This record gives sequence, structure tokens and C-alpha cells, in this order.
Amino acid sequence: MALIELQNITKYYEMGTQVVKALDGISAQVKANEYLAFIGSSGSGKSTMLNILGCLDKPTSGRYLLNQKNVEGLDQNELSEIRNLEIGFIFQSFNLLPRANALGNVMQPLIYRGLTLKERRQKAEDALLRVGLSDRMDHLPNQLSGGQRQRVAIARALVTEPSILLADEPTGNLDSKTSVEIMQLFDELHQEGHTLIVVTHEDEIAAHCDRVIEMRDGKIASDMAQQGVTA
Amino acid sequence: MLFALFESSRSALSSIFAHGLRSFLTTLGIVIGVASVIAVVSVTQGMSAFIGDTFASLGSNSLTIESQTPTADRMKGIRKRLTAADLELIEKRGEGIASITPILYANRTSQVKYGSQTAFSQIMGTTYAFQDVGQYYTAVGRFLAQSDNQTRRRIAVIGDKTRENLDLPDNPVNEYIEIGGEWFKVVGLLETKGEIMGFNQDDLVLIPYATMQSLQGNQARTDIQIQLSLTEGADVENVSQQLTALLRNAHDLSASEDNDFVIQTSEQLMETFDEIIGMVTIVIGGIVSISLLVGGIGIMNIMLVSVTERTREIGICKAIGAKRHHILMQFLIEALLLSLLGGLIGLGLGFGLGTLIASSIPGFPPAAIPWWAIALALGFSGFVGVLFGILPAAKAANLDPIDALRYE
Repeated sequence: MALIELQNITKYYEMGTQVVKALDGISAQVKANEYLAFIGSSGSGKSTMLNILGCLDKPTSGRYLLNQKNVEGLDQNELSEIRNLEIGFIFQSFNLLPRANALGNVMQPLIYRGLTLKERRQKAEDALLRVGLSDRMDHLPNQLSGGQRQRVAIARALVTEPSILLADEPTGNLDSKTSVEIMQLFDELHQEGHTLIVVTHEDEIAAHCDRVIEMRDGKIASDMAQQGVTA
Repeated sequence: MLFALFESSRSALSSIFAHGLRSFLTTLGIVIGVASVIAVVSVTQGMSAFIGDTFASLGSNSLTIESQTPTADRMKGIRKRLTAADLELIEKRGEGIASITPILYANRTSQVKYGSQTAFSQIMGTTYAFQDVGQYYTAVGRFLAQSDNQTRRRIAVIGDKTRENLDLPDNPVNEYIEIGGEWFKVVGLLETKGEIMGFNQDDLVLIPYATMQSLQGNQARTDIQIQLSLTEGADVENVSQQLTALLRNAHDLSASEDNDFVIQTSEQLMETFDEIIGMVTIVIGGIVSISLLVGGIGIMNIMLVSVTERTREIGICKAIGAKRHHILMQFLIEALLLSLLGGLIGLGLGFGLGTLIASSIPGFPPAAIPWWAIALALGFSGFVGVLFGILPAAKAANLDPIDALRYE
């Protein structure tokens, strides 16, 4: 059974009089526990793909079934709820809240679920322990290194126990050594049974994945299973 | 819900204190507005409480009757008068009256001389009954006696302020003062009473009523004031109605004509003072609410800046699941807390200021701050916070998550 089902998704933007087809008829399925990369050059539509998959944006047409639920026609608040329950975002620039410490950042998504402070703290501590930052919980983002910030962001994505982890150029702001560490963490998460979708333009990152979808001009150019590093 | 409120407040406080100076400057408008309201209210309330006490000690069951000429008649040169006949009528037929006295104000001069000193004072011709009606008692010497009136004796009882103005000795009894070219022997000095609303009650000269009449010459044209005190248990309203009927009848007024006199109770006098104070409070309150409005606009301005600054943060929160109301609450509570903090600071500052003002003016009553002023100040500043917080908060809540995340 497919976790994600995309049926003929299109996304058009109007730039003045010109209509830009960012996504032009995408159909694909993603199963649970897949380790998938979207690759492509800039302008290929992979960022738009990420926004649609993450329920940050709505397609112009087409059906998107997430966990057998049709996302079509949901309003902003309902989409917020879906994001909170189903999706864990990991961004290129980490996107942590600057005034909250590591623990606070990881607890933040649980506030929107209405959990008590005690429950939130417990779950957040577990998540930070998982990413190996249990000794940095009271540090503010600007007191952490890039790799540590990304680990906090990963903990924040994990803490809600989402259906999909959605990573957008997760190593784009990291040096190569740290990148390797982060990708190792991703590999481990995949092995633990998480579903990971990574959007990237780096082949080394895509090489970790079991399946690579290459995008070009808003269309799927190729969709290949490959021998992942961890598989 | 309560829990979400607590979360939002905590995060709002952290963001308020993250920009300490900016938050303080933002809320300064509210601080100044509330401080001035509280300062004014605390001073006027202190004054009004003091006046209330003063009038209570004056004896609230006294009445003053004065002539009153309608404007239309005054244009024609007609002057309404209260006369000795009216006094006699009330003395004979009025009920519930303990003491009654006429007062004749000096109409030619209010100049009093002693040696080389000249002073202006309120000179009143009255009788021994004024002691009871006006609650004036002598500290030294004696009050006016009935015989003084009958023999039109040239004597005077003076207030302490007048004694001071004339450089009279501490015991002025048996000194001679000059009023309207006549010599008067001082027989008594009144106890000091203090001031009401800056009006000194100790600057007066009392002489016998008949003596004043003879000083003024043409007796037919005198216009007197009548003061009376009521017997224990007599109802002020009843007595004044009865006196109104009596005087209307005596003055041959038809039903369509207005009274040509006014009966004032000391309660009414107090109400008048209260009304004046109320007016002052309202006017100043109006001016001050403009400053609160300006303060509110300041808060809105900074909240809008804050929303723009934190656009990316808002985007992050939305991406990880914040709904519109989470963001709305966040900013609304921040604006509310900002202006409430300003209100609290203003409250303390205003009370301090009021106390300072009250204590720096000698003889001024101490500042008092009623609970409704506190509630009003905090309520109003909270209202301003919510009112001017709505626009920025709605702007934040309506941000598109993708645009907000992309914001640099």
C-alpha cells in the first residue's frame, strides 16, 4: 500500500503574462520505509515538489493522497495539522527558532498538539538522545555548530513520529565531514524503519538512497531503483 | 486552551525581554498616559474625599437662601431681593428650624484697616445665630451677642487670616479696626477652619447685622442672604419645599413664574464641588485617552516591525504545524502584555506623582487612588493592546508558510 500517491500533479505559476509550469503532470508512488531522493538542477521543479509533498503548497491540479487521505481542498489550518502529524521537515538552513534552546526547539511542534510540558520534555529528550545531543539540550542555536544544529532539526522532525521525513538539501550548509555524519544518521533512521525523502542536487547524497527520481523541466526524467549504500 | 495561553505568554515575555529597551520605549506612550490618568485621579479623589469630610464637619443640615434674578429681568434692570420681611416670615412660620440668621454682605467696600495696614476681607453683617448655623466659634474673646444687634454696636469678630493680614497682635481683642470710615472694636477671634478648594475660610470680618444695615444707608434696597440650621431629625427636602412655598407666596409669584430665590443645602454645595471635580477629571481623562491612543499606535507600529522581523520564525512555526490561531494568539498576547506592563509601570509612576504633587502643596489633602481607577487604567491599556495588536497579529497569522520560510 502506497504511503504517498501522486496522480498527475501540476503546479503552474503566473509570472506576468507567462505561465511557468513548475510541475507538469507528475505521477508517482512512495511506499513506507522507502529511502528516496529527488534530484535535478535548479529550476527542475524539485523544490516545488518538496512544497507539495510537505503540504506547504497546493497543486494546481492532480490528486495527492497522503496515507490514503486526499489532501486536496484542505484549508491552511487543516494543512498545518497534516504537517504537524505526518511530516517532519529538515531544511538546508536548519530553520531553528533563534531564541529557544535545543530542547525548546524540539518541543515546539508538540505545543501544537496540546501536550503537557512534562510529556513534551520527555519526548524531546528522547529525540535529542537519538541524534546524540543529550548534552547540548540547553544550548541556543547560535551556540551550536552547523552539524549540531542540523541534528537538533532532525530531532525536531523525529519528535512528532511523522509518516515521512522530508529533507531539503540537508547537507547544503555543512562541510563534507559533517555531511557524511548527517547522511549516516539518515541511513540509520532508514534502517530503523522511517520513510525518508531527500531533495538534493548532489549526487553523493542521492547515492545513499534506494531510489532516485530525476526531475527535469517539471517532469520526471527518470525513476530508478539503485543499490543504496545502506541497502 | 488555558495551557496554550500560558505557552504563548511565556514566549511573548521572552520576546519582550529579548528587546528590553525597544519594548520599554514602545510602551512608554502607555506608561505616560496611564501615569497621568492615575496622577490626576489620585489628586482629585484625595481632594474630593477631603471636601466630603469638610462639609460633613460643617453640618450638612444647614440651608442658605439667596435672591436670584432671572437673566431676562436683569436686562430690564430689575433686581430681585430677599428682605428683612422675608426673614421675619421664615422665623415666624418656618418649621424644623433650629437657628436662623441673616447675612448682609458689605456692598460698598471690603477694605479693612488697622494702623497703616490695609487688607481686603469678606465683611458680613450677621447675628449671634451665625455661630450655630455656620459652625464658627471663637478662639479668643466672644462672639456677636443679641444685644450687639439691638444697639447697633460697632464691634467685630474676625478670622485668623484677617488678623494676620492686618498685622494684628495674636490676641486682637480690644484693638480697633476701620471699616468704611468707621471704627470697630475687635471683641473676638475665630478658630481657624482651613481652606476648601483654595478658598480660605478664615479671612472674614463679622459685624452685627443691624450695624451693617446702618452702614449701608438705604435699608429698603438691601438684599440679604438667610442661613439657617435645621433641628435634629428635620428633613432637608421637606424644609426647603416648605420654605419655597412660603417665599413664593410672599413674593406673589404666579405658577408660571420661576423662583426669584434659591435654596441651597450644603449637600448641594458639596455636589457642586463634586461636579466641578468630576468635570476636571473627565476633561483631563479625555486628553489623556488621546495619549493612550498615541501609545497604542506606537505599539501597533512596533508589533508590525516585529512581525516582519520574525517572518521566518512564523514560517518555521507554520511548517511544523502552527495553525492560524496559534500565531494570532502569540502576537496578540505579546501586544497585550506589552501594554499591560506599560499600564502597571504607569500605575506606580502615576500614584507616586500624585503623592508628590499632593505633598508638595502645603495644606493639600493626600492623594487617594480608588480601585476603579486601577481597574480602568489596566483595563484600558489592555484594551489598547488588544485593539492595536489585532492588525499585526492577523498579518502574522495570514502569512503564507512558503513565502515566510523564504524570507531573508
